[in-house]
Amino acid sequence: MSNYIPKIQPKRGQLFDSLFILVLVYVSLYIPLFLESDTASVEETAIVQSHSWESLGVSTVEQEQWQKLGYDEQAAAEIINDKFDYTIDPLMLIITALVIIGYFFFMLRVSKAQYREVIAEKFGDSSRETKQ
Amino acid sequence: MTATSTTAENTQRISMLKVLNPFHVWALGVGIVLVGEFMGWNFSVAKGGAYGALIACWVIGLLYSCVAMIDSEVTSTVAAAGGQYTQAKHIIGPLMAFNVGLYLVMAYTMLEAADALIVGDLMSAVAAATGYEGLSPQPFVVLTIAFLAWLNYRGVFMTLTLNFVITLFAFMAIIALFVGTDPLNPGSVLKHSDLLTELPYGWIGVVAALQFGMWYYLGIEGTCQAAEEVRSAGRAIPLGTIGGILTLLVAATLTWYISTGLMPWQYLGQATTPLYDAASIIGNPSLQVVLFIGTMFAAIASANGCINDAARAWFSMGRDRYMPTWFGAIHPHYRTPFRSIIFLIPIAVSFAFTGLLDQVITFSILSGLLGYTFMSINMIKFRKMWPLDVIKRGYIHPFHPIPALVLLGLCSVVYFATFLGYGASLLSIMAFYIVASVWFVMRRYQFVKRGDQFTMPWPRPKGY
Amino acid sequence: MILWEVLSYAAWIVSGLLLLWIVVDAINVSREFDEELLVSSREGADELLEQIEQEEGAR
Repeated sequence: MSNYIPKIQPKRGQLFDSLFILVLVYVSLYIPLFLESDTASVEETAIVQSHSWESLGVSTVEQEQWQKLGYDEQAAAEIINDKFDYTIDPLMLIITALVIIGYFFFMLRVSKAQYREVIAEKFGDSSRETKQ
Repeated sequence: MTATSTTAENTQRISMLKVLNPFHVWALGVGIVLVGEFMGWNFSVAKGGAYGALIACWVIGLLYSCVAMIDSEVTSTVAAAGGQYTQAKHIIGPLMAFNVGLYLVMAYTMLEAADALIVGDLMSAVAAATGYEGLSPQPFVVLTIAFLAWLNYRGVFMTLTLNFVITLFAFMAIIALFVGTDPLNPGSVLKHSDLLTELPYGWIGVVAALQFGMWYYLGIEGTCQAAEEVRSAGRAIPLGTIGGILTLLVAATLTWYISTGLMPWQYLGQATTPLYDAASIIGNPSLQVVLFIGTMFAAIASANGCINDAARAWFSMGRDRYMPTWFGAIHPHYRTPFRSIIFLIPIAVSFAFTGLLDQVITFSILSGLLGYTFMSINMIKFRKMWPLDVIKRGYIHPFHPIPALVLLGLCSVVYFATFLGYGASLLSIMAFYIVASVWFVMRRYQFVKRGDQFTMPWPRPKGY
Repeated sequence: MILWEVLSYAAWIVSGLLLLWIVVDAINVSREFDEELLVSSREGADELLEQIEQEEGAR
């Protein structure tokens, strides 16, 4: 089995490769920002109304603690009424699941092929016995 | 070692210094994580309520116990600076190793940026409290990164000894706070019976909370990165890692107990510094100071450990030519991967200055999560390819393959939790790793010497 | 308050000096030593295996 002789990478190529991976990181950091900027503006239409501790369903002990933290009922109402929405988009869920599973599947396949090469070069062909 | 007799056998070689002991390993692991107790974990309260956060704390604690056990076993046989990266290279294959290396570098560098931002914001907060509004956090962010990088550059022993001291202080701060809440008389300070509510979003909220439950422990697996610098790695790493996860389980439970007994869950869910707020409610000024310093130290310790780990992962990839070889250099005097440390400084600073903290943190958590998914696959293959009697292990974890399968199952649930709040980020981060993988196969792998990647003195794996 | 402005500038200057020191040192090292030596470290077996073998032998 002839061993693979790797190419020697010139300095400029090394620099290019380091920068490439950096650019890739920044791009993937900014993508969700562009996707989300379309949807974010819709929710900012909450009507301002006056609140009391009772209407917020806050008990007396809770009210004490809120006040110790320096919050009055208006400021607290903003936090209390800010709720999460857990509706699931089944299509997106399926796409996401497929992407993750596909990624691992692809990676394990390719890794396995590369790994066989590594082992063959390190230990010799599988027909030959190795001493350890 | 028969096949890889290199030409440079007789020439001089430099290597990293073996100077660390189990306490350093503990400091590296717990140091990276503990900041998560001072801030961040409480977002799980917003997602699933106080009880949801407790369930998340323990379920994710189980996930990390599996991580710690699996990691300890593999690392006790693979003593190399790359940690999980080197494991992947020996057990699964080059492409997986490349991805794991990237997970490590991304997770740690981004966490480091977030930590430095915390230090900067705390400085602004102090300035505001003393009557100077609008202090820019930027110089303090840069100072934190610059100082810690300098420390890392000058040698691993001093770096992790400092980490031990400040991590211990931060941990003691949590204990002090717990004592300060008068835990023997529930109802006097802690008001759990009045503040704990039903699950506000039901069980789906509990699942969603799992994502931020990772904050309690994220980074404990970093202990492996020290493997090349620890004396008797086979014993020190398992000891430090498992000691670390026990410390964190205690710290996480105490943190939850203190915070939910003092603050309404809606407030807690959006607090920036929950433990410090807890100290302010109690109204004890010296506790407040201790908790402030604790928060600061925890953030610094975390950034410090992250620099250490990210640089070692990047260095290892350079050494194997997965990344440019230039990064595979070791400082002849300080014995640190000095070029990797330098290269990652501007990157960490730029992450801190993007203003995308949310995004950066999600990227960091997900990279960690991808790494844990890898670990479960890795463990199953490791036992299959080298059964217990074939190679000596410094530590053997019990109940195999249950921890690996539990880990895989929990990872899937956390992916789903991430999907619930950050679906777009999840897809874009996956896109990053997919493009990077293709790039590795098409371009980088041509520079890699095949047989040299396998460096452990293990026999031929079964089935190959 | 003037104190915080001074501290900010001090932080910039100290970070600048630390980074400068690191970069200068790295350049010096790269000049002074052969590149072959700098990248000569090898991953892999350490004293652990010998140690375990010794202990097994002693038993």
